[in-house]
Amino acid sequence: MIPIRDDNPQVSVPWTTYGLIGCNAFAWMVLQSGGFGESFEPSICKFGLVPAQIMGNAAETTCDGFTGFGLLSVLSSMFMHGGWMHILGNMLFLWIFGGNVEDAMGPLRFLVFYIVCGTGAAVAQIWSDPNSLIPMVGASGAIGGVMGGYLMIYPRVKVHILVPIFIIFWTFRVPAWAMLGYWIALQVIEGVVSLGSTGGGVAFWAHVGGFLVGATLIFVLKDDELLFDHPFHGWSDNVDPASVWEDPNNRQK
Amino acid sequence: MSKSDVEDVVDVIESHDEDDADDARNDFLNNGFGTHWVAEIEGEITAISGYRQVPETYGSGWVSWTYVLENHCGKGIGKRLFKFVLEEAIEAGAQKLFIKVSNYTDEFGNNIYQTATSMYESFGFECEIVSKDFYDVGEDQLIYSKNLLPKLDGEIEVEKEKEKPAIRFADVYEIAETDGAYSFSWEVIDKSFFQKRSFSVDDLYVGLQAVKERGGRIVFLTFLSNLPLIHSPLASAGFKFVGQLEDYYEPGVHELHFVHRLDGK
Repeated sequence: MIPIRDDNPQVSVPWTTYGLIGCNAFAWMVLQSGGFGESFEPSICKFGLVPAQIMGNAAETTCDGFTGFGLLSVLSSMFMHGGWMHILGNMLFLWIFGGNVEDAMGPLRFLVFYIVCGTGAAVAQIWSDPNSLIPMVGASGAIGGVMGGYLMIYPRVKVHILVPIFIIFWTFRVPAWAMLGYWIALQVIEGVVSLGSTGGGVAFWAHVGGFLVGATLIFVLKDDELLFDHPFHGWSDNVDPASVWEDPNNRQK
Repeated sequence: MSKSDVEDVVDVIESHDEDDADDARNDFLNNGFGTHWVAEIEGEITAISGYRQVPETYGSGWVSWTYVLENHCGKGIGKRLFKFVLEEAIEAGAQKLFIKVSNYTDEFGNNIYQTATSMYESFGFECEIVSKDFYDVGEDQLIYSKNLLPKLDGEIEVEKEKEKPAIRFADVYEIAETDGAYSFSWEVIDKSFFQKRSFSVDDLYVGLQAVKERGGRIVFLTFLSNLPLIHSPLASAGFKFVGQLEDYYEPGVHELHFVHRLDGK
């Protein structure tokens, strides 16, 4: 299930979303050599987040010779990726959902929102396996937060998704609550299944943690006044704020 | 006309209303005669009328200081002068003219502005808003208006873009020529990081309390119709909708009038 676009109009230029995509692309191409070459694996060790190291449970990581960035790796890991599909998938989700969440709070607040969601994702991943020596990289936790925020404010918006059935890709329009609800349910299930496993793979709990932080933090940072511009925000049809004066009790007697 | 004519013009107004005469003197001395004209009979100024265009609008104007010397009333001088004023306004590109009128009745029950009101109606002016108890208890303000340029046939109503400036109230003040009617002055500020754009219901309560402390009995506020954030706090604070001056700022952007009574009526 791949989202292609949504029916939510973009009201303001999403400078922070553009900037974050640019930073991720820059990190991927420059710091990680686009996934090729000798510097790729060390970049994951150097900038990735190692739960055991953060918790002080390990002096060394699986990456020989690298001690990582310590607490700063919470931030640096958000801009690192493990492969082309990883970064492209993340940036597609950020492109589709980030702009509208940014619309709801403005670029500066959105930057704060994104970083806090990413941090929440890191905390959740560390909680799920504090002794893990495997470096975690990726923007998915922060983007999970963006999706959580999106679900809270634009649940009715139709999202166009691409679904492969046999060998043919079909497109469907589904409400955001269905698409994002399915996505988070999948993360929770996969997260539960992955508990106790020692191997690498997708950081499901980071997705869940980021999502929950985003779904909560959106209520602190969203600006209801900016949301007036979005015809589909909220669970019910939006009414003209001036219609309050149609009530005879609100008119001069 | 020149500044030396101010006192002769004021005399015309003073023959009806001394308060208006003082206000008119200040207006003419500060702002000049501008788009005001007088009628003369044998060198004597017998009538004054005119209008002032509202700068921030695309063509709205307020008719002001329309008086005929008391002993020349009923001779059609006012009507001829007012017709001239309307022609001049059209010539100058004014789109719509407004007039504020009181419905004051004297102790004998006579509406002293009835003659003027009838004249405005005869020129096609229609009452758009009645603000009850505006000037004083029992004395309403009626705002008449007339579109000088007819709307084009089949003109489509265009929904105007909503604006969300950060509005903050600066002060409360008693409205000129009223007894105990107040309004809030407001300004648009630069919005900071966590600030709300709209004024809040609490901001309105602060203003209402300040008016109460000054002995005010009623508060009137006006806003543009393309500000979606004003409605919720105004309604929550107990303001009532009075009416709107249609297309006041530009086609599709009206001036909304609200009232809040402090006397519990």
